[in-house]
Amino acid sequence: MRFSSSPACSRSLSSCPLLYIFQDVEQAYKGRTVLSVARWSVRRGTVLGLVGPNGSGKSTLLRLMGFVEFPVRGTIFFEGRRISRKDAQALRLEVTLLPQDPYLLDRTVADNVAYGLSVRGVRRGRAARVQEALQWVGLDPGVFGGRSVRALSGGEARRTALAARLAVRPQVLLLDEPTAEIDGDSVQRVRSAILHARSNWGATVVVTSHDREWLLTFCDEIQEMRDGRLTGPIAAKATIGVQ
Amino acid sequence: MGPFLEALIRAFRMILTVDPEVYSAVGTTLYVSTVSLVLSLLFGIPAGFLLGYASFPGRRVLRTFVDTLLSLPTVLIGLLVYGLLTHNGPLGRFELLFTVHAIVIGQSLLGFPIVTALTASAVEALDQRLRLTLLSLGASPLRRCATSLREARYGLLAAAVTAYGRVLTEVGIAIMVGGNIKWHTRTLTTAIALETNKGDFAAGIALGLILLLMASGVNAALYGLRKRA
Repeated sequence: MRFSSSPACSRSLSSCPLLYIFQDVEQAYKGRTVLSVARWSVRRGTVLGLVGPNGSGKSTLLRLMGFVEFPVRGTIFFEGRRISRKDAQALRLEVTLLPQDPYLLDRTVADNVAYGLSVRGVRRGRAARVQEALQWVGLDPGVFGGRSVRALSGGEARRTALAARLAVRPQVLLLDEPTAEIDGDSVQRVRSAILHARSNWGATVVVTSHDREWLLTFCDEIQEMRDGRLTGPIAAKATIGVQ
Repeated sequence: MGPFLEALIRAFRMILTVDPEVYSAVGTTLYVSTVSLVLSLLFGIPAGFLLGYASFPGRRVLRTFVDTLLSLPTVLIGLLVYGLLTHNGPLGRFELLFTVHAIVIGQSLLGFPIVTALTASAVEALDQRLRLTLLSLGASPLRRCATSLREARYGLLAAAVTAYGRVLTEVGIAIMVGGNIKWHTRTLTTAIALETNKGDFAAGIALGLILLLMASGVNAALYGLRKRA
Protein backbone atom coordinates (compact mmCIF):
# COMPACT_ATOMS: atom_id res chain seq x y z
CA MET A 1 0.00 0.00 0.00
CA ARG A 2 1.34 3.46 -0.86
CA PHE A 3 0.69 6.51 1.24
CA SER A 4 0.80 9.98 -0.16
CA SER A 5 3.18 12.66 1.06
CA SER A 6 0.80 15.56 0.75
CA PRO A 7 2.12 19.09 1.12
CA ALA A 8 1.45 21.19 4.19
CA CYS A 9 -2.05 22.38 4.81
CA SER A 10 -1.79 26.13 4.37
CA ARG A 11 -5.37 26.97 5.29
CA SER A 12 -6.74 27.39 8.80
CA LEU A 13 -6.18 24.34 10.98
CA SER A 14 -9.86 23.40 11.19
CA SER A 15 -10.11 23.10 7.42
CA CYS A 16 -7.09 20.79 7.07
CA PRO A 17 -7.91 17.15 6.30
CA LEU A 18 -7.86 14.57 9.07
CA LEU A 19 -4.63 12.60 9.11
CA TYR A 20 -5.31 10.22 12.02
CA ILE A 21 -8.62 8.97 13.32
CA PHE A 22 -8.70 6.73 16.40
CA GLN A 23 -11.91 4.76 16.91
CA ASP A 24 -12.47 2.89 20.17
CA VAL A 25 -8.75 2.19 20.42
CA GLU A 26 -7.51 0.28 23.43
CA GLN A 27 -4.00 -0.83 24.27
CA ALA A 28 -3.15 -3.30 27.01
CA TYR A 29 0.03 -4.97 28.25
CA LYS A 30 -0.25 -8.33 30.01
CA GLY A 31 -4.00 -7.85 30.31
CA ARG A 32 -3.76 -4.37 31.89
CA THR A 33 -5.36 -1.60 29.86
CA VAL A 34 -2.97 1.36 29.57
CA LEU A 35 -4.73 3.40 26.90
CA SER A 36 -8.34 3.88 25.95
CA VAL A 37 -9.35 6.37 23.25
CA ALA A 38 -13.01 6.40 22.19
CA ARG A 39 -12.74 8.80 19.26
CA TRP A 40 -9.92 11.17 18.47
CA SER A 41 -8.44 12.76 15.39
CA VAL A 42 -5.41 14.77 14.34
CA ARG A 43 -5.44 17.13 11.38
CA ARG A 44 -2.65 17.29 8.85
CA GLY A 45 -0.07 19.99 9.54
CA THR A 46 -0.91 20.29 13.23
CA VAL A 47 1.75 20.76 15.86
CA LEU A 48 0.12 18.97 18.76
CA GLY A 49 1.36 18.87 22.33
CA LEU A 50 0.50 16.07 24.75
CA VAL A 51 0.81 16.65 28.48
CA GLY A 52 0.04 14.46 31.44
CA PRO A 53 1.65 12.76 34.41
CA ASN A 54 3.93 9.72 34.09
CA GLY A 55 1.96 6.63 33.12
CA SER A 56 -0.90 8.63 31.61
CA GLY A 57 -0.46 6.88 28.24
CA LYS A 58 1.41 9.53 26.23
CA SER A 59 4.23 7.24 25.08
CA THR A 60 1.79 4.42 24.29
CA LEU A 61 -0.28 6.78 22.17
CA LEU A 62 2.85 7.87 20.27
CA ARG A 63 3.91 4.26 19.65
CA LEU A 64 0.47 3.54 18.19
CA MET A 65 0.67 6.67 16.03
CA GLY A 66 4.15 5.60 14.91
CA PHE A 67 2.85 2.14 13.92
CA VAL A 68 5.56 0.45 15.95
CA GLU A 69 2.85 -1.34 17.90
CA PHE A 70 -0.81 -2.06 17.34
CA PRO A 71 -3.86 -1.78 19.62
CA VAL A 72 -5.53 -4.81 21.15
CA ARG A 73 -8.89 -3.32 20.20
CA GLY A 74 -10.25 -0.60 17.94
CA THR A 75 -9.27 0.93 14.62
CA ILE A 76 -6.76 3.52 13.52
CA PHE A 77 -7.34 5.33 10.23
CA PHE A 78 -4.47 7.14 8.53
CA GLU A 79 -5.24 9.37 5.55
CA GLY A 80 -8.72 7.88 5.59
CA ARG A 81 -7.51 4.28 5.34
CA ARG A 82 -8.02 1.66 7.98
CA ILE A 83 -4.56 0.53 9.05
CA SER A 84 -3.54 -3.08 9.60
CA ARG A 85 -0.21 -4.65 10.56
CA LYS A 86 0.70 -5.34 6.94
CA ASP A 87 0.67 -1.60 6.22
CA ALA A 88 3.12 -0.84 9.03
CA GLN A 89 6.37 -1.18 7.09
CA ALA A 90 5.27 1.28 4.37
CA LEU A 91 3.83 3.68 6.93
CA ARG A 92 7.00 3.77 9.02
CA LEU A 93 8.76 5.33 6.03
CA GLU A 94 6.36 8.29 6.33
CA VAL A 95 5.95 8.46 10.09
CA THR A 96 8.90 8.51 12.43
CA LEU A 97 9.08 8.34 16.20
CA LEU A 98 11.77 9.69 18.49
CA PRO A 99 11.45 7.53 21.61
CA GLN A 100 11.78 8.96 25.10
CA ASP A 101 15.13 7.26 25.62
CA PRO A 102 16.55 7.08 22.09
CA TYR A 103 19.23 4.58 21.13
CA LEU A 104 22.11 5.51 18.87
CA LEU A 105 23.87 2.94 16.72
CA ASP A 106 27.49 2.28 17.66
CA ARG A 107 28.78 4.36 14.74
CA THR A 108 29.63 7.99 14.06
CA VAL A 109 27.11 10.80 14.44
CA ALA A 110 26.91 11.23 10.65
CA ASP A 111 26.31 7.49 10.13
CA ASN A 112 23.46 7.60 12.63
CA VAL A 113 21.82 10.55 10.91
CA ALA A 114 22.30 8.89 7.50
CA TYR A 115 20.75 5.57 8.60
CA GLY A 116 17.13 6.50 7.87
CA LEU A 117 18.16 7.88 4.48
CA SER A 118 19.97 4.69 3.59
CA VAL A 119 16.87 2.69 4.65
CA ARG A 120 14.86 4.79 2.17
CA GLY A 121 17.42 4.27 -0.59
CA VAL A 122 18.41 7.96 -0.69
CA ARG A 123 21.87 8.11 -2.26
CA ARG A 124 22.02 11.40 -4.07
CA GLY A 125 22.64 14.34 -1.76
CA ARG A 126 22.75 12.11 1.32
CA ALA A 127 25.79 13.85 2.83
CA ALA A 128 24.21 17.28 2.29
CA ARG A 129 20.99 16.17 4.01
CA VAL A 130 22.95 14.80 6.94
CA GLN A 131 24.81 18.10 7.31
CA GLU A 132 21.57 20.05 7.03
CA ALA A 133 19.83 17.96 9.68
CA LEU A 134 22.76 18.34 12.08
CA GLN A 135 22.65 22.10 11.58
CA TRP A 136 18.89 22.16 12.32
CA VAL A 137 19.56 20.70 15.76
CA GLY A 138 22.55 22.95 16.37
CA LEU A 139 25.35 20.39 15.94
CA ASP A 140 28.22 21.59 13.77
CA PRO A 141 28.67 18.86 11.11
CA GLY A 142 32.40 19.60 10.89
CA VAL A 143 32.84 19.02 14.60
CA PHE A 144 30.30 16.29 15.31
CA GLY A 145 29.86 14.44 11.99
CA GLY A 146 32.85 12.13 12.40
CA ARG A 147 32.57 11.78 16.16
CA SER A 148 31.71 8.44 17.71
CA VAL A 149 28.38 8.48 19.54
CA ARG A 150 30.23 7.20 22.61
CA ALA A 151 31.87 10.63 22.91
CA LEU A 152 28.57 12.56 23.04
CA SER A 153 26.94 14.16 26.05
CA GLY A 154 23.32 13.29 26.85
CA GLY A 155 22.00 16.45 25.16
CA GLU A 156 24.16 15.94 22.05
CA ALA A 157 23.00 12.32 21.80
CA ARG A 158 19.36 13.41 21.95
CA ARG A 159 19.91 16.05 19.29
CA THR A 160 21.69 13.47 17.10
CA ALA A 161 18.69 11.17 17.44
CA LEU A 162 16.38 14.06 16.50
CA ALA A 163 18.58 14.93 13.50
CA ALA A 164 18.28 11.30 12.33
CA ARG A 165 14.49 11.74 12.26
CA LEU A 166 14.57 15.16 10.64
CA ALA A 167 16.96 14.01 7.89
CA VAL A 168 14.29 11.71 6.42
CA ARG A 169 11.79 14.61 6.31
CA PRO A 170 8.90 12.55 7.61
CA GLN A 171 5.30 13.38 6.97
CA VAL A 172 4.64 12.85 10.67
CA LEU A 173 7.18 13.50 13.41
CA LEU A 174 6.42 12.01 16.83
CA LEU A 175 8.62 13.23 19.66
CA ASP A 176 8.43 11.61 23.07
CA GLU A 177 9.80 13.97 25.74
CA PRO A 178 12.44 15.42 23.40
CA THR A 179 13.60 17.96 25.97
CA ALA A 180 13.99 15.65 28.96
CA GLU A 181 17.37 16.08 30.67
CA ILE A 182 18.73 18.64 28.20
CA ASP A 183 19.81 22.23 28.82
CA GLY A 184 17.92 25.43 27.95
CA ASP A 185 19.83 26.09 24.73
CA SER A 186 19.12 22.57 23.44
CA VAL A 187 15.44 22.98 24.33
CA GLN A 188 15.24 26.02 22.06
CA ARG A 189 17.07 24.09 19.32
CA VAL A 190 14.47 21.34 19.52
CA ARG A 191 11.68 23.92 19.31
CA SER A 192 13.15 25.58 16.23
CA ALA A 193 13.76 22.16 14.59
CA ILE A 194 10.07 21.28 15.11
CA LEU A 195 8.91 24.55 13.59
CA HIS A 196 11.39 24.07 10.76
CA ALA A 197 9.95 20.61 10.00
CA ARG A 198 6.47 22.07 9.73
CA SER A 199 7.33 25.13 7.72
CA ASN A 200 9.77 23.41 5.35
CA TRP A 201 7.96 20.22 4.40
CA GLY A 202 4.64 20.51 6.18
CA ALA A 203 5.27 17.86 8.81
CA THR A 204 2.55 17.06 11.30
CA VAL A 205 4.24 17.02 14.70
CA VAL A 206 3.12 15.45 17.96
CA VAL A 207 5.25 16.26 21.01
CA THR A 208 4.92 14.99 24.56
CA SER A 209 6.38 17.00 27.39
CA HIS A 210 5.93 17.78 31.06
CA ASP A 211 6.75 21.40 30.26
CA ARG A 212 3.35 22.87 29.44
CA GLU A 213 4.73 26.41 29.16
CA TRP A 214 7.26 25.31 26.56
CA LEU A 215 4.58 23.55 24.52
CA LEU A 216 2.41 26.69 24.65
CA THR A 217 5.11 28.62 22.80
CA PHE A 218 4.69 26.69 19.54
CA CYS A 219 1.86 24.11 19.61
CA ASP A 220 -1.39 24.66 17.74
CA GLU A 221 -3.19 22.52 20.25
CA ILE A 222 -2.36 20.88 23.57
CA GLN A 223 -4.17 17.77 24.75
CA GLU A 224 -4.08 16.52 28.30
CA MET A 225 -3.92 12.83 29.16
CA ARG A 226 -4.73 11.12 32.42
CA ASP A 227 -5.05 7.42 33.31
CA GLY A 228 -4.74 6.34 29.70
CA ARG A 229 -7.42 8.71 28.43
CA LEU A 230 -7.40 11.97 26.50
CA THR A 231 -9.16 14.42 28.78
CA GLY A 232 -9.55 17.15 26.20
CA PRO A 233 -7.71 20.14 24.75
CA ILE A 234 -6.33 22.60 27.23
CA ALA A 235 -5.11 25.17 24.72
CA ALA A 236 -5.45 25.77 21.01
CA LYS A 237 -4.46 28.33 18.46
CA ALA A 238 -7.03 29.36 15.90
CA THR A 239 -4.83 28.84 12.88
CA ILE A 240 -1.68 27.07 12.01
CA GLY A 241 1.40 29.00 11.07
CA VAL A 242 1.35 31.02 14.26
CA GLN A 243 4.79 30.76 15.83
CA MET B 1 70.05 -27.76 29.78
CA GLY B 2 66.50 -28.08 31.02
CA PRO B 3 63.87 -29.71 28.80
CA PHE B 4 62.00 -26.40 28.36
CA LEU B 5 65.08 -24.50 27.19
CA GLU B 6 65.94 -27.38 24.89
CA ALA B 7 62.39 -27.31 23.54
CA LEU B 8 62.57 -23.58 22.93
CA ILE B 9 65.81 -23.93 20.96
CA ARG B 10 64.38 -26.82 18.95
CA ALA B 11 61.22 -24.87 18.21
CA PHE B 12 63.21 -21.98 16.77
CA ARG B 13 65.43 -24.39 14.84
CA MET B 14 62.32 -26.11 13.37
CA ILE B 15 60.98 -22.75 12.25
CA LEU B 16 64.25 -21.31 10.98
CA THR B 17 65.46 -24.42 9.15
CA VAL B 18 62.05 -24.73 7.44
CA ASP B 19 61.61 -28.30 8.65
CA PRO B 20 59.28 -29.73 5.93
CA GLU B 21 57.54 -32.12 8.29
CA VAL B 22 56.73 -29.34 10.72
CA TYR B 23 55.61 -26.99 7.96
CA SER B 24 53.34 -29.72 6.54
CA ALA B 25 51.69 -30.07 9.95
CA VAL B 26 51.42 -26.29 10.28
CA GLY B 27 49.84 -26.05 6.81
CA THR B 28 47.34 -28.84 7.54
CA THR B 29 46.49 -27.29 10.92
CA LEU B 30 45.91 -23.88 9.39
CA TYR B 31 43.85 -25.31 6.53
CA VAL B 32 41.52 -27.51 8.58
CA SER B 33 41.01 -25.00 11.38
CA THR B 34 40.37 -22.07 9.03
CA VAL B 35 37.92 -23.94 6.81
CA SER B 36 36.19 -25.34 9.92
CA LEU B 37 35.90 -21.85 11.40
CA VAL B 38 34.44 -20.43 8.17
CA LEU B 39 31.85 -23.24 8.06
CA SER B 40 31.06 -22.79 11.76
CA LEU B 41 30.52 -19.06 11.24
CA LEU B 42 28.49 -19.60 8.08
CA PHE B 43 25.96 -21.81 9.86
CA GLY B 44 26.48 -20.72 13.46
CA ILE B 45 25.87 -16.99 13.06
CA PRO B 46 22.40 -17.30 11.43
CA ALA B 47 21.44 -20.06 13.87
CA GLY B 48 22.67 -18.05 16.86
CA PHE B 49 20.95 -14.91 15.62
CA LEU B 50 17.63 -16.74 15.32
CA LEU B 51 18.09 -18.25 18.75
CA GLY B 52 18.88 -14.90 20.35
CA TYR B 53 16.53 -12.65 18.35
CA ALA B 54 13.39 -14.57 17.49
CA SER B 55 10.82 -15.96 19.87
CA PHE B 56 9.34 -19.35 19.04
CA PRO B 57 8.04 -22.34 20.98
CA GLY B 58 10.85 -24.43 22.43
CA ARG B 59 13.44 -21.66 22.17
CA ARG B 60 14.57 -22.00 25.79
CA VAL B 61 14.95 -25.78 25.47
CA LEU B 62 16.94 -25.36 22.26
CA ARG B 63 19.11 -22.68 23.91
CA THR B 64 19.87 -25.02 26.82
CA PHE B 65 20.67 -27.83 24.38
CA VAL B 66 23.10 -25.64 22.42
CA ASP B 67 24.75 -24.52 25.67
CA THR B 68 25.14 -28.18 26.64
CA LEU B 69 26.88 -28.89 23.32
CA LEU B 70 29.61 -26.44 24.37
CA SER B 71 31.01 -29.10 26.65
CA LEU B 72 30.83 -31.88 24.08
CA PRO B 73 34.06 -33.95 24.26
CA THR B 74 36.04 -33.87 21.03
CA VAL B 75 36.50 -37.65 21.08
CA LEU B 76 32.72 -38.04 21.09
CA ILE B 77 32.45 -35.83 18.00
CA GLY B 78 35.30 -37.85 16.49
CA LEU B 79 33.42 -41.06 17.23
CA LEU B 80 30.22 -39.67 15.68
CA VAL B 81 31.98 -38.51 12.51
CA TYR B 82 33.91 -41.80 12.36
CA GLY B 83 30.58 -43.67 12.51
CA LEU B 84 29.19 -41.53 9.70
CA LEU B 85 32.22 -41.75 7.43
CA THR B 86 33.39 -45.30 8.03
CA HIS B 87 33.14 -47.69 5.09
CA ASN B 88 29.81 -49.13 6.29
CA GLY B 89 28.50 -45.81 7.61
CA PRO B 90 25.78 -43.69 5.97
CA LEU B 91 28.37 -41.44 4.29
CA GLY B 92 30.96 -44.16 3.70
CA ARG B 93 30.61 -44.10 -0.08
CA PHE B 94 32.25 -40.65 -0.18
CA GLU B 95 35.50 -42.16 1.17
CA LEU B 96 36.26 -39.17 3.38
CA LEU B 97 37.59 -41.02 6.41
CA PHE B 98 41.28 -40.30 7.13
CA THR B 99 41.29 -37.21 4.91
CA VAL B 100 41.53 -33.54 5.88
CA HIS B 101 37.86 -33.20 4.85
CA ALA B 102 36.88 -35.58 7.64
CA ILE B 103 38.77 -33.41 10.15
CA VAL B 104 37.04 -30.31 8.71
CA ILE B 105 33.61 -31.94 9.19
CA GLY B 106 34.42 -32.88 12.78
CA GLN B 107 35.94 -29.54 13.71
CA SER B 108 33.01 -27.69 12.11
CA LEU B 109 30.69 -29.70 14.36
CA LEU B 110 32.88 -28.64 17.26
CA GLY B 111 32.87 -24.95 16.31
CA PHE B 112 29.19 -24.70 15.35
CA PRO B 113 27.66 -24.79 18.87
CA ILE B 114 30.33 -22.39 20.14
CA VAL B 115 29.53 -19.82 17.45
CA THR B 116 25.78 -20.41 17.83
CA ALA B 117 25.73 -20.05 21.61
CA LEU B 118 28.02 -17.01 21.72
CA THR B 119 26.16 -15.29 18.85
CA ALA B 120 22.86 -15.90 20.65
CA SER B 121 24.33 -14.41 23.83
CA ALA B 122 25.67 -11.37 21.95
CA VAL B 123 22.28 -10.77 20.31
CA GLU B 124 20.40 -11.26 23.59
CA ALA B 125 22.70 -8.69 25.21
CA LEU B 126 21.82 -6.00 22.65
CA ASP B 127 20.14 -2.90 24.03
CA GLN B 128 16.37 -3.39 24.19
CA ARG B 129 15.89 0.09 22.67
CA LEU B 130 17.56 -0.96 19.43
CA ARG B 131 14.43 -2.68 18.07
CA LEU B 132 12.20 0.36 18.62
CA THR B 133 14.83 2.66 17.08
CA LEU B 134 15.15 0.52 13.95
CA LEU B 135 11.37 0.22 13.61
CA SER B 136 10.87 3.94 14.06
CA LEU B 137 13.50 4.71 11.40
CA GLY B 138 11.62 2.52 8.91
CA ALA B 139 14.12 -0.36 8.65
CA SER B 140 12.78 -3.46 6.89
CA PRO B 141 12.94 -6.84 8.72
CA LEU B 142 16.06 -7.83 6.78
CA ARG B 143 17.73 -4.48 7.48
CA ARG B 144 16.82 -4.80 11.17
CA CYS B 145 18.54 -8.19 11.31
CA ALA B 146 21.65 -6.91 9.51
CA THR B 147 21.90 -3.82 11.72
CA SER B 148 21.38 -5.86 14.89
CA LEU B 149 24.18 -8.22 13.83
CA ARG B 150 26.43 -5.26 13.17
CA GLU B 151 25.64 -3.86 16.60
CA ALA B 152 26.62 -7.24 18.05
CA ARG B 153 29.89 -7.35 16.08
CA TYR B 154 32.22 -7.43 19.10
CA GLY B 155 30.33 -10.42 20.46
CA LEU B 156 30.56 -12.14 17.07
CA LEU B 157 34.29 -11.50 16.97
CA ALA B 158 34.60 -13.04 20.43
CA ALA B 159 32.64 -16.06 19.16
CA ALA B 160 35.03 -16.41 16.21
CA VAL B 161 38.12 -16.13 18.44
CA THR B 162 36.77 -18.69 20.91
CA ALA B 163 35.75 -21.14 18.19
CA TYR B 164 39.08 -20.76 16.40
CA GLY B 165 41.00 -21.37 19.61
CA ARG B 166 38.98 -24.53 20.21
CA VAL B 167 39.35 -26.04 16.72
CA LEU B 168 43.01 -25.07 16.46
CA THR B 169 43.96 -26.87 19.64
CA GLU B 170 41.69 -29.93 19.56
CA VAL B 171 43.27 -33.34 19.12
CA GLY B 172 40.53 -35.96 19.55
CA ILE B 173 38.78 -35.38 16.23
CA ALA B 174 41.98 -35.00 14.22
CA ILE B 175 43.34 -38.32 15.50
CA MET B 176 40.10 -40.32 15.23
CA VAL B 177 38.96 -39.25 11.76
CA GLY B 178 42.24 -37.90 10.35
CA GLY B 179 44.41 -40.84 11.36
CA ASN B 180 47.55 -38.72 11.93
CA ILE B 181 48.96 -39.60 8.48
CA LYS B 182 52.34 -37.96 7.85
CA TRP B 183 52.27 -35.33 5.04
CA HIS B 184 48.47 -35.68 4.74
CA THR B 185 46.38 -35.42 7.89
CA ARG B 186 48.99 -34.80 10.56
CA THR B 187 48.21 -31.59 12.41
CA LEU B 188 50.34 -29.92 15.07
CA THR B 189 48.22 -31.36 17.87
CA THR B 190 48.37 -34.93 16.55
CA ALA B 191 52.11 -34.51 15.99
CA ILE B 192 52.51 -33.39 19.62
CA ALA B 193 50.56 -36.45 20.77
CA LEU B 194 52.78 -38.70 18.62
CA GLU B 195 56.07 -37.20 19.82
CA THR B 196 54.95 -37.45 23.44
CA ASN B 197 53.98 -41.11 22.94
CA LYS B 198 57.41 -41.70 21.47
CA GLY B 199 58.92 -40.15 24.61
CA ASP B 200 60.40 -37.13 22.80
CA PHE B 201 59.00 -34.52 25.18
CA ALA B 202 61.23 -31.75 23.85
CA ALA B 203 59.87 -32.20 20.31
CA GLY B 204 56.32 -32.22 21.74
CA ILE B 205 56.94 -29.00 23.65
CA ALA B 206 58.61 -27.40 20.61
CA LEU B 207 55.58 -28.18 18.44
CA GLY B 208 53.36 -26.86 21.24
CA LEU B 209 55.26 -23.58 21.20
CA ILE B 210 54.73 -23.28 17.44
CA LEU B 211 51.01 -23.91 17.99
CA LEU B 212 50.97 -21.22 20.66
CA LEU B 213 52.71 -18.80 18.28
CA MET B 214 50.06 -19.51 15.63
CA ALA B 215 47.22 -18.97 18.07
CA SER B 216 48.80 -15.69 19.20
CA GLY B 217 49.12 -14.55 15.59
CA VAL B 218 45.48 -15.32 14.84
CA ASN B 219 44.32 -13.59 18.02
CA ALA B 220 46.44 -10.53 17.24
CA ALA B 221 44.91 -10.36 13.74
CA LEU B 222 41.38 -10.65 15.16
CA TYR B 223 42.18 -8.03 17.80
CA GLY B 224 43.33 -5.74 14.99
CA LEU B 225 40.00 -6.37 13.24
CA ARG B 226 38.14 -5.43 16.41
CA LYS B 227 39.94 -2.11 16.61
CA ARG B 228 38.90 -1.34 13.05
CA ALA B 229 35.30 -2.54 13.47
